[in-house]
Amino acid sequence: MSALGGGHAGGDGMNPVAAVVGLVLLILALGIIYVLSPGMAFMALIGVIIGGVMIGFGVHFVPVGGAPAAMGQSPGIATGVTMLAAGAGLAGLFGGAWAAELGFGVALAGGAIGGGLMMAITCLMVNVVYVYAMGIPAASGKVAKDPITGDTFEAYKSKGTEGHGLPFISYVGGVIGGMLGGLGGTLIYLELLAVYEAFLPAALNAQAEQIVPLAVGLAGIFAVGLFLINAVLAAYNITGTIEGPHDPKFKRFPRAVVGCAVASAVCGLFAIILVVI
Amino acid sequence: MSVQITASEGGMPHNKVMAIGLIGSIVCMYLTYLNTITGTEIFSFFGGIAAVFALWWGTDTIKHLCSYGLGTGVPSAGMIALGSGVIAMILATKLSTMGLISSVMIIPIGCVIIAAIIGAILGYIANNIVNMNIPVMIVSLAELCIVGAITILGLSAMAAGSFVFADLVTGSVTFFGVAIADYQASVIGGGVIAVIFMLGAIAVQHAFNACLGPNESQDRTLMLAAECGFLSMIVVSIMSFAFISAGSAILAFIVSVLGWVYTYNQYLVMSKRDAYMWLDAKPILEKKEA
Repeated sequence: MSALGGGHAGGDGMNPVAAVVGLVLLILALGIIYVLSPGMAFMALIGVIIGGVMIGFGVHFVPVGGAPAAMGQSPGIATGVTMLAAGAGLAGLFGGAWAAELGFGVALAGGAIGGGLMMAITCLMVNVVYVYAMGIPAASGKVAKDPITGDTFEAYKSKGTEGHGLPFISYVGGVIGGMLGGLGGTLIYLELLAVYEAFLPAALNAQAEQIVPLAVGLAGIFAVGLFLINAVLAAYNITGTIEGPHDPKFKRFPRAVVGCAVASAVCGLFAIILVVI
Repeated sequence: MSVQITASEGGMPHNKVMAIGLIGSIVCMYLTYLNTITGTEIFSFFGGIAAVFALWWGTDTIKHLCSYGLGTGVPSAGMIALGSGVIAMILATKLSTMGLISSVMIIPIGCVIIAAIIGAILGYIANNIVNMNIPVMIVSLAELCIVGAITILGLSAMAAGSFVFADLVTGSVTFFGVAIADYQASVIGGGVIAVIFMLGAIAVQHAFNACLGPNESQDRTLMLAAECGFLSMIVVSIMSFAFISAGSAILAFIVSVLGWVYTYNQYLVMSKRDAYMWLDAKPILEKKEA
């Protein structure tokens, strides 16, 4: 796996010492914010952490094929985890941000639907290309039967491959992943936006109406940054390709959930400290 | 099922590249402060040069990290670098108003320190909690976070002429002949920072992603990194017309175009040097009417 002989990556277990250190960091971040500004900023940091966990969990649903999928040798969409998650999640984030003034619930729903729609269209077009352009049927390499439709894959799978195409279960996984990513990204954006709209007027001696474009810009760029951090950490957890929720690698998600929670807490702390000090 | 990524051995040692990149970019960041001292905006382009130094160094770090086989492709490293870098950078620009040290001279060095902290924590998460078990993971992510932060700080300073939070968020529009403060006409409030973010993210990951392979050589990869940096500088110099005086923006544009032409030519020369054979493609000749 590694060119220079690094340690053994992957595996399903979690390092207990590291998990404890991570939780300590998370509690430390929450504590610092609670001391500096209990109330709104503290609740916002909790929202950011929940959003980050949703992104990290959602990435595991997305069927990622990588380079082998482009050659029809493994199932999934033929690109990297980060690109797919960023595509789906940022589409959702923009959808949610556009609906931000219509209320919290509408914005969250807009984000989820934006991300899910993006993945639904991507998966559909990927299957169109696979079936009608590359001429390969959808066959999973990890399970014998599709858990939803009950279709069998064995007869359609080419020898020497890990399966190919995009089975129905992967399609469903992709849409769920896109929805979770869009929901998480939008939640981070909305929480940060609320904090900036509340604290920036005092920090800059300006009126609340003047500050709106600046609050939107800051919350947007931080939401994008936090989204990419969580997506990449989840991608590192997957190490390469995943077929969707039926893949054995999906069972690794607790590590990503812990990792993304800690990363979101630390980065969210720095993003909120910007205005509360 | 990860694709084997091969990187060349030898060349300039990574620590030397890091030292040149770090010192060069910090010195260039401080040179943009000449703007405030002299009361002009013509030194803005040093911010772009700082970004080029950082990107040059970051490419070598990515090469170092990705040779261990991340399994997720090279672009992911560029994305996490800039994603964490932007948080460190925006917090650092506000350091001078946070109470401890009121001089704005703290900002570039503070940016490096905050980025190193965030990057080291992310590296610990990736290495130990997510179980990547890559020996250079923590150091590399810390370096990449610094690279991302300096890249965005440099390019923002180039666009706005200053690296102070108040200048990055406040623009001015002339309304019936009176200049009033407007937060939308600024680098952060106007969303220009999002463009800078992507320009940096693509520039930091492209060079190694394009050059990796059995015949990769360090000087060619790093030359491509500098070329990507100058290409990003050209775009930022065009955007800087909105924020700084036209003369300064034209100077920044000329510097970036000159840098780009030089590095692109050097890159072509090195590509020809490393190639087994070079065929200059010619347009298909039209059949002449008799």
